[in-house]
Amino acid sequence: MLLIIFLFIWNLLDLSSVYWLFKKKHRLFDDRFTTTMGMAITMTSAFAFALYLKLLLPVDPSGFYLVPIIVGVCIGLLFGSFIQSPALLTGIYNGFMGSIMGMMFGAVLRNPALCNIPIDSATMIESNIVSLAIFTACCHALVSQFIRYSFKV
Amino acid sequence: MTTSAILLYVDLWIVLCFYGYLLKVRKRIGFQLGMNISIVMGGMAALLSGVLLIIQFPFHFTFITMISTVAGLTVGAFFGLLFDYQTFVTGLTNGIIIGLMSPMIGTVIEMPTMFIIFLHGFFVFSLLTIFHSIKRS
Repeated sequence: MLLIIFLFIWNLLDLSSVYWLFKKKHRLFDDRFTTTMGMAITMTSAFAFALYLKLLLPVDPSGFYLVPIIVGVCIGLLFGSFIQSPALLTGIYNGFMGSIMGMMFGAVLRNPALCNIPIDSATMIESNIVSLAIFTACCHALVSQFIRYSFKV
Repeated sequence: MTTSAILLYVDLWIVLCFYGYLLKVRKRIGFQLGMNISIVMGGMAALLSGVLLIIQFPFHFTFITMISTVAGLTVGAFFGLLFDYQTFVTGLTNGIIIGLMSPMIGTVIEMPTMFIIFLHGFFVFSLLTIFHSIKRS
């Protein structure tokens, strides 16, 4: 669990650096560029944060299932609010879709019998969760690195 | 289940030949169609590789998720690099998301043969749509 908290903080730092770059430089580029880059970072980070929240939060009070969706929609609103309504719609839609997919992925990783995946021992489930969470964090870091590079040029 | 391996090989060659065809005609294609091409090809590569590999090797869920994600990422990125930097980022992101999802579909389906036939029909239909819109542009 400590490793997942560490990955969460890493991706949060990446996301906040991308948001800072957007806020500083979005007037230099046209609207299509801002919309496309916001769509890409919204989808990936909503997926990653929904996955981590689904793995970190306890199952028992069932009201917690709304938290990843709200986080995804908030990321979409944040990145869509730089320019007017079309980008807002794209951001909300992509954040919603990404967070629902991340929640589904987290639920399957926690309980592989949902998908008939033949992994049943507890250590196998733990190593599966750790390796796929690290892989998702690396994908998020890759996408945010490409987006930072595109704003520098 | 050797059919899924043969189908994966055939799909790989279809994608490579389509890439070679696009390399010749990419001057005529606008950015809007280019973005749609990179989304469709990255997503279909991730979906086909995830479903066919998880039917072939059902006991390696973790590795197959990584392999299908990397396949969607590279195919979306290479089809996007033909046109623009924005199509590159869009194809890469879409390939990552669909590649992380696709082995889950492969594990829950009830009738694998029907699903694979439907998926290839869908793939051929989207390729025909792309050819039609390239011809019209």
